[in-house]
Amino acid sequence: MSQLGRIADAVDTYNAHVTDEVARARTDARFAAELRERWARIQESIDWTVSPTGTPLPRLALPQTDDPGVIAGYLLGQGLPGEFPYANAGYREMYLDRDSGAGEEPMRLFAGLGLAEDTNKRFHYLSAHQKSLRLSTAFDGPTLYGLDSDHEGVLGKVGEGGVAIDTVEDMSRLFAGFDLTRKDASVSMTMNAPAPVILAMFIAAAKRRFGPDCVSQLRGTIQADMLKEVQAQNEVIFPIEPSLRFLCDMIEWCVPNLPRWYPVSISGYHIAEAGATPVQQAAFTLSNGFTYVGLLKQRGADVNQFGPRLSFFLDCGLDVEYLVLGRVARRIWAIGMRDVFGAGAKAQLLKLHTQTSGRSLIAAEFQNNLTRTAVELMLAYLNYTNSCHSNSADEPFTTPTEKYATLASHGQSIILEESGVFKHMMNMFGGAPGLLVLEQQVEKAILDVFREMDTLGGVLAAQEQRYQRSKIQEAGHAYEEQVYGGARPIIGLNRYKTGEPLPSVPLARTPPRKQRLQVERLRAFKRKHAKQAPAALQRLENVVRGGGNVFAELVSTVEVCSLGQITACLTGIVGKFRPMV
Amino acid sequence: MPARSHAPAPVRILTAVPLCDGHDSAVTTINLELARHGIEVIYLGYHQPVSAIVRAAVQEDVNVVGLSSYNGGHIVFFKEVVDQLRQRGGGDIPVFGGGGGTITAADERVMKRQGTDRIFFAGTPLTEIMATIKRDYARRPKPGGRFTGDRALARAITLAEGGARPPGGRRKPARGAGSGHRGFVLGVAGPGGAGKSTLIDELVSRFLRRCPGGRIAILANDPSHPDSGGAILGDRVSAIYAQDDRVFFRSLATRGSLTGLSAAAPAAIEILRQAGEFDLVLVESVGVGQESDPFRTFGRGPHLVDATLFVVPPHYGGRIQLQKIALLAGADFVALNKCDHPMAHTARAEIQARLDQDGKGRRLHATTAARHFDPGVDALFDTLAQRAGLVPSTGGDKACWMEVTP
Repeated sequence: MSQLGRIADAVDTYNAHVTDEVARARTDARFAAELRERWARIQESIDWTVSPTGTPLPRLALPQTDDPGVIAGYLLGQGLPGEFPYANAGYREMYLDRDSGAGEEPMRLFAGLGLAEDTNKRFHYLSAHQKSLRLSTAFDGPTLYGLDSDHEGVLGKVGEGGVAIDTVEDMSRLFAGFDLTRKDASVSMTMNAPAPVILAMFIAAAKRRFGPDCVSQLRGTIQADMLKEVQAQNEVIFPIEPSLRFLCDMIEWCVPNLPRWYPVSISGYHIAEAGATPVQQAAFTLSNGFTYVGLLKQRGADVNQFGPRLSFFLDCGLDVEYLVLGRVARRIWAIGMRDVFGAGAKAQLLKLHTQTSGRSLIAAEFQNNLTRTAVELMLAYLNYTNSCHSNSADEPFTTPTEKYATLASHGQSIILEESGVFKHMMNMFGGAPGLLVLEQQVEKAILDVFREMDTLGGVLAAQEQRYQRSKIQEAGHAYEEQVYGGARPIIGLNRYKTGEPLPSVPLARTPPRKQRLQVERLRAFKRKHAKQAPAALQRLENVVRGGGNVFAELVSTVEVCSLGQITACLTGIVGKFRPMV
Repeated sequence: MPARSHAPAPVRILTAVPLCDGHDSAVTTINLELARHGIEVIYLGYHQPVSAIVRAAVQEDVNVVGLSSYNGGHIVFFKEVVDQLRQRGGGDIPVFGGGGGTITAADERVMKRQGTDRIFFAGTPLTEIMATIKRDYARRPKPGGRFTGDRALARAITLAEGGARPPGGRRKPARGAGSGHRGFVLGVAGPGGAGKSTLIDELVSRFLRRCPGGRIAILANDPSHPDSGGAILGDRVSAIYAQDDRVFFRSLATRGSLTGLSAAAPAAIEILRQAGEFDLVLVESVGVGQESDPFRTFGRGPHLVDATLFVVPPHYGGRIQLQKIALLAGADFVALNKCDHPMAHTARAEIQARLDQDGKGRRLHATTAARHFDPGVDALFDTLAQRAGLVPSTGGDKACWMEVTP
């Protein structure tokens, strides 16, 4: 049995344990008394608050019961917010008191367009509306594929759909004017195959500006999830084995050196956007996460050291399963980490970033997208996501314009700050009948997928057999057929059309003169470092061939080499990825 | 003979996603739908440079090229595809595209002016896309078209495939023809999932590295859908080294032939031989089971190819099964691929023992084609190169290969 089969069994075993404990609570008087006593202590510990209209409310809502069976089922099966198995929430008071400045700010705003200074300007514009500094970066196609802006045939793509980054100098321009050492600063980067190079550039740029000691203060996330790239998003450069090695090198280096950084964001978003059902999204994402844990453990890393630095990223669409997807994912992760990998409390918690669904947004009558995103945000918060990104309504046809990016951001504030739904009480809905039924059904379906992959030999073996890819593609085709056949209602597309013409929103495009400017800058950088670059690449090659930590070396390599030079060097050593249909 | 000799030959479409773009969910949906509508889809994959798209369009002699672009830069990219098609003998091949909401009506006007034939906008129903493609891109080319280079070879193969087009673009004798440079033809067969395509591509990479002046051709046979007659010919997706002008790659759908090869394969092989410019021709059969050897049951006896390579995966089902596999008895070379598989160790011993029964002195090649720079593939390539009469030179000659007269 593969690791995945053991995890599925561990969840079943845990569920059986909960059932047994519920039964014991109803038959064993001493145990029942203990539970009632604990329940009373928990209730006493809950503070009270008053709503703006004068209604007194407890800050944590609990099931109204003194039945020891119900109490056992809740405490063990769901867990209090912040307690194992974390179905209800990862922390005790996540969204409470949003106005006072306490608590976790869940907003992330994705930006990336043109050259580094253009994105920098957008960052300054967006962050002016935020309390804390949350910068989330999208990169252009050439950067995502590890190519320089002067690579043959890429000129039209430079700065399109994201920011063009070729060198450490671009990285410096990207974050100019921001104090990255601020406690509330957090940078996230949607970057995968070249993630080690890009993060190395970020570190090098920060060192240039804030000095060598700043590194331990840098806080943020880089996506770097290569398995989902192979399965869904297709931004892969190197063969799978070296791709995973470069990733694990980066994680191992970051754990002690960048203690506030999340060096991988295990992502279902792109799996869902490529067509997966919610269940498939969760199943593939969690199983990918467990695969990384297994690989790191194999390398001798300590699960309690790296475990807390893993983070997750899920899509939230409009299907009913999204009411509970985050809750179920947290629960399976906690049980698997504790019972299969022996992780302690801090490494059991799945930290979740959610983004509303891009696929659910359509160009036709696009202002409906504001409502779609608002509903998805509600679903994401019902899952107590740790952070959230809301899509701009104009995303189906362009990089978000400032107007719709602002509306998307304000949508989050309206739900969390303006409305009282999440502000005063934790666990508003946990344990509701519909949620419980959904949680059980979704969990069971996820474990079924685990077991199917287990029979194929585990995640990597299944991946080689195209299992995840074909499942995602099949689900995507089924979705399209539902849309075009009308079985899946899409307002404004296949029903209730108002006949409004397609939008003519001004598009954010990068003009050719800027694209040429980027190429000129890159060439100047290469000329400046023409003497040092070959030696730096040779040192990198020695580390790759010698089995050392590649990331540690990259932090120096990026001082004198461009992204494209480094990609070419690494490809020459480890080969190219062979794509799958 | 093709199974449906009276029906018009299927439309052939090349589909791809442009460079630096990995959004393939739309194109895979379209591919599937096209195949259901009886169209042969040559899918090139995502993150494809203009040069690869144009080369594939020319070599596959497609009716039309469809590009699915979601990452921007389409105005520049489509123009470059149209321009390079004109420069490389494919100026008659129209290009259409789609990109959800990322391609605007204003973009379309510019793109059409620059030669793109059509853009399908967001929300166009699949049925409408299919109807448009079948209506506008199934047209036969004007007779008398004269082609040169790879396009001429490709057109000759198209004609051999069953007359989708009237004769008119027939190729003149190629450069080097009659010079006795006929190339060595290797048939490659094996069950589905053995890793034939990957192994072939790794052999191509060795050929390119070790023969700077030479050319290699690949005929990749894939099954047609029995009901629709369409096909998804996806071998190019994972053929990363075949994206080189020194490689001529042609996908053939079986169109009802049950032998593991297209009925046009013998003619196509002959065309490539006659071209006189290929040092090596690799013919990949569709995945075949134990019952037959596609290169022998074809009616022309053993002369269809010069030698055969049988690729077997470690999970063939045990020693008894080995006795039944016709190709193990007949193949000139046998490679056990996927040697990183846990069952490979046993498989290696069992298959070698089976080869020894025949007393022909055949040695089993152990390869792991999925691993880059695999020494087992190196050794297989050396053996094949020797048999092909192409021996690496030791000196500093311009061509590192020379022909050895038998």
